[in-house]
Amino acid sequence: MRSPGDADEHAWLDGLRRGDATAFDAVFAGYRRRLYSHLVRMTRRRDVAEDLLQETFLRLAQHAARLAPDTRLGAWLFTVAHRLVVSWARAQAVRDQLAGDLPRREAAGDDRSPLEALADSQAQLALERAFAALPPAYREVALLVGVEGLPPIEVAQILGQTPEAVRQRLARARTQLAEALGEHAPASWRAP
Amino acid sequence: MSYNDDAEKLTELGQGLAGIDLNAASAARIAHRARQDVGRGPSLLRFIEPAIAAVLVTSYLVWAIAKVFEALP
Repeated sequence: MRSPGDADEHAWLDGLRRGDATAFDAVFAGYRRRLYSHLVRMTRRRDVAEDLLQETFLRLAQHAARLAPDTRLGAWLFTVAHRLVVSWARAQAVRDQLAGDLPRREAAGDDRSPLEALADSQAQLALERAFAALPPAYREVALLVGVEGLPPIEVAQILGQTPEAVRQRLARARTQLAEALGEHAPASWRAP
Repeated sequence: MSYNDDAEKLTELGQGLAGIDLNAASAARIAHRARQDVGRGPSLLRFIEPAIAAVLVTSYLVWAIAKVFEALP
């Protein structure tokens, strides 16, 4: 996915700090799809991802004037999204515990998960399923590094972890993905 | 395997994941809602709600303690 350039980011940040709504629109257009994809893959629910996306951008709007001049917008937004996902997952765990053995309510009438619904080939379906099967902590690192292309230091800051912990999670995510993908793994993943 | 090797392989794999977008109406609604707050700072409700909750809890505690003292011989 295309990342906004540094020049874009500086201009947007300056605009946000001045309270310029046009700058907000540019940030929204630049990050909406990336954040939403990330949130859908972390929550596996489009309705929840939409709510969390809204909350992420509301917080950006509310904090706009107080952003530091050297803020990296991408890292800032993914940090907020990460915290919202953690809070949602905790609340979800409590709800699941209270609900006991009751069947889980599905948000949409479609039988397929939102990720399966968008996969248009067996390989892509296998890829989505392999990512979905990762433990959330590994999945998040794999998405931030593999999809967002963020460096370990930035991922560590977003997750509130040490770079070493990020490296370990990434290595484990790679191992589990390779196992889950099997024959669908890219050729370069297989033993030489 | 090094971090760089893992990151490179994950990046290769990540390229196979399609971007997911929300529908245009939802995107417009979220953008419209959020852009109204640009430069305004946090909503006053964020401070008022905890203050109201604190007043209610304190009142209840005072009432409960008073009842305990009333019940004492």
